[in-house]
Amino acid sequence: MRRIIRRSDLRDDSARDVSDELRFHLEMRTQEFIERGMSPEDARRAAARAFGDMGAIDAALRHESVLRDRYRARRDRLHEMVADIRFALRTLRKNAGFTAATLATLALGIGAATAVFTVVNGVLLRPLPYRDPSRLLMVWMSSKQYGEELPLSSGFYSDLAAGTTAMAQTAAFRSWRYTFAPSNASDAEQVEGARVTPSFFDVLGIRPAIGRPFNEADAAVGAPPVVILSDALWRRAAGGDRAVVGRQLEMSGQRFTVIGVMPPGFSFPRGAELPAGLAFGARTQLWTPMGFTEKDRQSYATQNMAAIARLRPGASAPQFHTTITSILERWRLAVAPKLDLHYSVATLIEQAGEHVRRGLLFLLAAVGLLLCIAWANVTSLLVARTTRRRREFAVRAALGAGRARIAAQLVTENVILALAGSMLGLAISIWATRAMLALVPGSMPRADDIAIDWRVMLAVSAAALVAGIAFGLAASTQAGFAHVASSLRDGTRSATGRHSTFGRRALVVAEVALSLMLLIGASLLTVSFARLQRVEPGFDPSHVMTAAVGLPVPGEFNPKRDGAEWARFFRGLQDRLSQSPGVEAAGGVSALPLADAVESGSTSTIGEPPPIPGKAHFTEYLVTEGDYFRAMRISLLGGRTFNGTDVAGSQPVVIVNREYARKYLGGTATALTHQIRVFSDFSGGRDARSVVGVVDNVQSGALDGPVQPQVYLPEQQMNYPGLAVVVRTRDDPTAALTLVRQQMKETDPRAALDHPRTMQRVFDESLARQRFSMTLITVFAVAALVLAMIGLYGVISLMVNNRRREIGVRMALGARTADVLRMILAEGAMIAAVGVAVGLVGAFALSRLVSTLLYGVSPTSVAIYTSAALLTVLVTTAATLAPARRATRVDPTVALRSD
Amino acid sequence: MAGSDLFTGTLDLLILKAVSWGPRHGYAIGRWIRDTTSEDVIVQEGVLYPALHRLGRRGWLAEQWGVTDTGREAKYYSLTSDGRGQLRAETKRWSRFSSAVSKALTSSPA
Repeated sequence: MRRIIRRSDLRDDSARDVSDELRFHLEMRTQEFIERGMSPEDARRAAARAFGDMGAIDAALRHESVLRDRYRARRDRLHEMVADIRFALRTLRKNAGFTAATLATLALGIGAATAVFTVVNGVLLRPLPYRDPSRLLMVWMSSKQYGEELPLSSGFYSDLAAGTTAMAQTAAFRSWRYTFAPSNASDAEQVEGARVTPSFFDVLGIRPAIGRPFNEADAAVGAPPVVILSDALWRRAAGGDRAVVGRQLEMSGQRFTVIGVMPPGFSFPRGAELPAGLAFGARTQLWTPMGFTEKDRQSYATQNMAAIARLRPGASAPQFHTTITSILERWRLAVAPKLDLHYSVATLIEQAGEHVRRGLLFLLAAVGLLLCIAWANVTSLLVARTTRRRREFAVRAALGAGRARIAAQLVTENVILALAGSMLGLAISIWATRAMLALVPGSMPRADDIAIDWRVMLAVSAAALVAGIAFGLAASTQAGFAHVASSLRDGTRSATGRHSTFGRRALVVAEVALSLMLLIGASLLTVSFARLQRVEPGFDPSHVMTAAVGLPVPGEFNPKRDGAEWARFFRGLQDRLSQSPGVEAAGGVSALPLADAVESGSTSTIGEPPPIPGKAHFTEYLVTEGDYFRAMRISLLGGRTFNGTDVAGSQPVVIVNREYARKYLGGTATALTHQIRVFSDFSGGRDARSVVGVVDNVQSGALDGPVQPQVYLPEQQMNYPGLAVVVRTRDDPTAALTLVRQQMKETDPRAALDHPRTMQRVFDESLARQRFSMTLITVFAVAALVLAMIGLYGVISLMVNNRRREIGVRMALGARTADVLRMILAEGAMIAAVGVAVGLVGAFALSRLVSTLLYGVSPTSVAIYTSAALLTVLVTTAATLAPARRATRVDPTVALRSD
Repeated sequence: MAGSDLFTGTLDLLILKAVSWGPRHGYAIGRWIRDTTSEDVIVQEGVLYPALHRLGRRGWLAEQWGVTDTGREAKYYSLTSDGRGQLRAETKRWSRFSSAVSKALTSSPA
C-alpha cells in the first residue's frame, strides 16, 4: 500500500470519506460478480443486494460519526490544554526572575493575610464551642470608683439567679487551685480548677463525655466531694481510662470521687477571655461543685465569682439587664442606698474578644494594605510582561493563532501562577499562624479556637483562580494582536504607550502611599513599645527566679483554722532559702507584679473620722514574707522593711508605697507617724496597723497601667496559703528552681510548686500583646516597602528601556551623564513624592484607629511621620538609582540604530 | 440492525483477526470474512462499515487512505497495539465460551 494524504486526514470531512469508502466497496463487489460472468447491470444489482439495507447502514454510520466527532473534540481540547500547560510551564521557567518575583509577592501577600485572618476568625468571628453560644451572657458589676467587670458576691448572684429563672438559666463559677499529684511517682502540682454551681454545664450546653454532670445534691453542704476532669487532665492523670468514673483522687488533702470527664477541648473558663482579677488558668482542668448556704445567700461583701446566663427563647439581653438592674435597685434601697454598684452584661463572644479586638482589627487593616500592595505589584508585573511579549503574540497571531487560543494560553499561565502562589501562601499562613500564636503564649483569648479553616483555604484558592482568569483575560486584551502589523513593525517600542505607563505609575504611587502608611503604623508601635519597655516597673527583674508555692487548702478557705500552719511553712521555707548558697535574698508575695491579679480593698487612717461609703481609701494590698523587697530590689524610701519581730501577737504593722503615702498620709515623711486599718484584713480584729515603712511604687497590673496606692502586710500577721516565692541569685536564676523545689519538699512534703519562671520572663510576657502587634506590623511594613521598591524599580526600568532612543538622541545632542541621571531620578522622585503625600494624608486619616494601642507617643507624631516619609523617599530613590545609572550608559549610536 | 451482542462481538473479533496480518481495506476484510466463514456470519456486507468505524473510534483500528495494487484509492485499516491486545483477549474469551457452549450442547441429560 502506498500512503496518500487525503483532506480528511487533516480536517474532518467524514461524510465524503464514508461515501468514497462505500462506493469503493460496491465497485469492487460489482467487479467480483462480473468476473463470475454476470452482466454489469446484474452485477451491480447483486452487489447492492449483498450490501444490504442501505438506509439502515447509512443511519448506523451517521450515528458512529457523531460519536467519533464528539470523542475527537474532547481529545483535542485535552491535548490543547496539556499543550497550554506545558507551554505555560516552559515560559514561566524561562522567565525565572519574573516567575519568582510574582510567586514571592503572591505567597507573601496571601500568606500574611490568611494568617491574620485565621487568627481574627478564631478570636472574633467563629462561634464559641458551646451550644447556641449567641444566647450566652456574662454578668458583671461595675462602679465608678472600683472599675468595670467586677465579680459578683454570693449574695448578689443568689438574688439574680432567683429573680431571673423565667428568662434565663444562670450559673456562677470561681477559680480554685488544687494541689494534686497526677501519679504516685510525680510531685504534687497546682492544677487550675473552677468551683461551679450545678447548672454550669447545662448553661454552656456541654455534657461530660463520660459520666454525669453535677446535680444539686453534689453541691449541698456536707455532700461527699466530687470532681469532673478535663479530657487533658484525664489523659494525664488516669491514662485515658474510661473506668476512672467512681475512682477516688486525692486533691488538696481531700478525697474526691471522679464523676465525669469533659469532652476534648472543653476548658471553660479560660483565663485569657475573662478579667485577670478572677485568676483563672489559661485552661481550666477540673471542676468541683459550689453550693450556697443560707448565710452565703445573705453575703454581699466578698465579690469573688463570675456569673454566666443562658437566655431562654424569647428573652433578650436588654430585657435581662433591666430585670437584674431592678433586682439590685430593690436591694440597694433596702440595705445600702449610697452604694455605687451596677450590673453590666456582655455576650460571651464580645467578652472573649474584647481586649484584643482593636489590636486585631488594626492588624487586619494593616495586612489588608499589604495585600493591596501585593496585588498592585503583581498587576504591574503582569502588565509589563504582557507588553513586553506583544511581539510574540503578534507573531503567533500572524501564524494563525486565534484570539481565543492566545487568551486561553494567557489564562492558563496566570491561573498556574495564581494557584501556585496561593498554595505557597497557604503553606506560609499555616506556619505564620503558629508563629503568631507563639508570640503571645497563654494571653491570646480563644487561642484554642484558632484553627486553619478549610473554608478560608477554599475561599483563598477560589479567589486565586478567579484572579488568575481575570488577569489572563485582561492581559489578552492588552496583548494587542489586533494590530498585528503595527506590533511587528514597531517592535517593543510602541508596546508602552502613555496609557499603560500611566496605569503602572498610578499603581506604584498607591504602593508607595500604602507602604508609608504601614511604616508609620509600625514606627508608632515600635516607639510605643520602646517607651513601655523603659517604664520603671519599680523592681529589678534581672537575676530573680519565681514560682507559685502553695499548701493544700482542704475544703473551705479557713485562715483561723489553718493560718498558723501556713505562716510556719513560709517562715521555714524562707529561712532555708535565704541561707542557701548563691541566694542573695529570698521572699514571697501574694500577687506577683505584672503577672498575678492583685487584690484590692479599702483602708482608713486611725484618728481621722470614719470614711463615708464610697470615699474610703482604696488600695491594692499584698501579703509578703521574708526579704521580698530586697529580693525584688524595691527601694525603701523611709522606715524599715518587715523583720523577724513582726509576728502574730506583736504590734500589727504595714508598709505602704509612695503613692499611698502621697494620696492618703500627706507624703513619705509623715506617713511613718500614722496607723491605718485594712478592711480586708482577716487576721483578726482589723487591728490598727502602724506604718513602719514606705517603699517605691510598683507597676502591679501592667506597665502602661496607672500607679496605684499599695499596702504590704506580713504573712506572719495575715496568713496566706499560697505565695509567689521570689529568689534573687548571684548567677543564673534558673538554677534556683531545683533549690526551691527541694527546700519546699523538706519544709513540707504536701506543698506544691507551679509556674516557675524568671522575673525577666514575667516582665517580657507582660508585653506579649504589644510585642505581637509591633512585630507583625513591622514585618508587614518592611515587606510592603520591599514590594514598593520592586514596583518602582520595575516602572523606572521600563521607562528607561522605552526612552532609550530619546536618551540616545539627547546624548547625541550633547546632554551630559548628569543630565540624564537627573532626568530619570526626577521621574522616580515624582512618583515617590506623590506617593508619600498620599500616604501621609492616609496615615493621618487612620491615626485614630491606632491611638488606643499606643503608650507615650502621639498617633500623629510629627517626628515619626517625618522620619517615615524620609525613609520612604530614601528607599524609593535607591530603587530608581540602578535603572537611572543604566540610562547613563546608553550608547547613542546603538540606541539610535536599534528599534 | 447490527444484530445481537453475540453477533457484534463475533464480527468485531473477525475484523480484528482480518487485519492482524497487515493493513486491509474494508472490501478485503469483508471478503476474507466471507471466504473463511462460508458466508455464515455476514448476512449484509454493509454492516461491516459501522463496525469498522466503531473499532476505529475505540482506538483498536487505525485508518489511513492508500492506493491499491490496481491504482485505486481505498481506506486501509490496521491493527493498533491496543487492538492487538484486544484481539488476544477476545480470542481467548471466545474459545473458552465456544468450547463451553459446544460441551453443553453435546452433553447427554444428567
